[in-house]
Amino acid sequence: MDIKEIREILRLLDRYGIQDFTLQRGDNRIRVKKGGLLEEPAQVRYREIPVAETLPSAVPAPEGVPGPTPPSTTGDQLTVNDNQFLVTSPIVGTFYRAPSPESPPYVEVGSAVSKGTVLCIVEAMKIMNEIECEVTGKISTSLVENAQPVEYGQPLFIIDLV
Amino acid sequence: MIALKLFSKILVANRGEIALRIIRACRELGIKTVAIFSEADRDALHTRFADEGICIGPANPLHSYLNIPAVISAAEVSDCEAIHPGYGFLAENPEFAEICEASGITFIGPRSEHIKLMGNKIQARNCAVRAGIPIPPGGVEGVSDPEEALQGAKQLGFPVIIKAASGGGGRGIRVVHSEASFRTSFSMAQSEASSSFNDPEVYVEKFIESPRHVEIQILADNDGNVVHFGERECSIQRRYQKLIEEAPSPAVNEELRKQMGDAAVKLTRESGYVNAGTVEFLLDKDGKFYFMEMNTRIQVEHPVTEMVTGIDLVKEQIRVSAGHPLGFKQDDIRIQGHAIECRINAEDPEDHRPCPGTITFFYAPGGPGIRVDSAAFESYYITPHYDSMIAKLVAHGRDREEALARMQRALEEFVIEGIKTTIPLHQRILATMKFRKGDYATDFIEEMKK
Repeated sequence: MDIKEIREILRLLDRYGIQDFTLQRGDNRIRVKKGGLLEEPAQVRYREIPVAETLPSAVPAPEGVPGPTPPSTTGDQLTVNDNQFLVTSPIVGTFYRAPSPESPPYVEVGSAVSKGTVLCIVEAMKIMNEIECEVTGKISTSLVENAQPVEYGQPLFIIDLV
Repeated sequence: MIALKLFSKILVANRGEIALRIIRACRELGIKTVAIFSEADRDALHTRFADEGICIGPANPLHSYLNIPAVISAAEVSDCEAIHPGYGFLAENPEFAEICEASGITFIGPRSEHIKLMGNKIQARNCAVRAGIPIPPGGVEGVSDPEEALQGAKQLGFPVIIKAASGGGGRGIRVVHSEASFRTSFSMAQSEASSSFNDPEVYVEKFIESPRHVEIQILADNDGNVVHFGERECSIQRRYQKLIEEAPSPAVNEELRKQMGDAAVKLTRESGYVNAGTVEFLLDKDGKFYFMEMNTRIQVEHPVTEMVTGIDLVKEQIRVSAGHPLGFKQDDIRIQGHAIECRINAEDPEDHRPCPGTITFFYAPGGPGIRVDSAAFESYYITPHYDSMIAKLVAHGRDREEALARMQRALEEFVIEGIKTTIPLHQRILATMKFRKGDYATDFIEEMKK
């Protein structure tokens, strides 16, 4: 795990408004905890770049100069190790952890899951789509806050495979 | 005018240059934009230029840009008040417009009933007849029986043209020159119509030989005001797909412009159509015109009209959809100078096959009277999933001669490396005497290749 990767993780956590996050990969373990700051709601909104900055140029940008921020971060940027499985949203919609505001969440970090276990709901066009687990394991990380919008391919959970 | 509210946020349900075009109009109007994009378009310009972006599906457009629930859901989660569909994809899908209406999202375009009406060529022709607009002989009802169709064709006299009722994009069309080949062509048109549009209905009309394709841009508001913006000449086509458009048409004088414009306005009124639309006509050698169809969207070639009238059609679409009345009358529309548009496609200029690949160098022309609408840039990868058009090069001049000179100069300046484009083909067309004299019709490219 290098500084670039950690920076990427921090950026992701910020984006999705995650307060507490642990990632273990072999012997490497990183824990990030946000505190003292007002919670900034996670949003699909990702940036406001002045147009001039994003104008394509006939002259290639020199190496090392960061280009425009990639528009979104989904499965292909968040990598998991071989013993883990990344659950991504199959649709655009609103993410719900529980079937109703009063109900307990379908799963929490540490919950044992297997094929067919309902992990969450993604609501699209007033239809509640239950997202089922495709593997057997244990929820390692929950990446999205309740009632937040999610896009296609957005990571929702990391599952430690058993 | 100023007191009326516009939208605060619009979802742009498209990609490529038209998505950029809409985002630009919104920026100028102070409206926030949400781009939707497929996984293949993560780094595309429309994704970067919009205020927000939402990935709605994989590269395959069936699961992304054509995926109605995903598009509506994206509009809902991002609190958009309206959706601009651009052209292609969902722009002329009445079901999509209807779902937008039902979801409380404004569809920036006509109402679903008008998309449906004009989407069926037979119904559209009947609407034109009611409005008193000439149509080519025949084809006021669909036929399914080949023998019955043949009898009809004989009455009209060969050559005839068989077209799909739900047709578009040049598919489901067969020209038949004699009785001998009629039955085969008829069944081929039927099966093409069935596979392309999921509707086997076809009709037969008299074939107008080497016509010009001339269309009238109209705009209608919710208060019944309708204006036209003159014509666009779109006869330079291959496989019924436009390649070069210009305004005004070298074949249309003031008198004919008024007649065609009035006809287009009458059809718009007859149908109760609202927002921007285009009425397409065939113009024969004797200067007689016939209604062909109405396109219920903003068109690819709308910039030529914008260049000669000075009116931003995309902004007008947005204003009309927000309930604003038109800010001008027919007498305020003035055609100034001349504009030409060349569609730069990623394709082999010889056999017209699409040519996907990575653009290794990109330099767009500029200078007086030049406008480039493009979503391409250096290192941009042209995927095989979408349309092959990568840029629209538009030249405006005091008169046709100056516009032509500017276009030729701009085509020389334009550098696109790494892929094959239609630039050399445009240069060849512009160098011909026929084109320079404005003496051409829809068979121009076929004739040029002989």
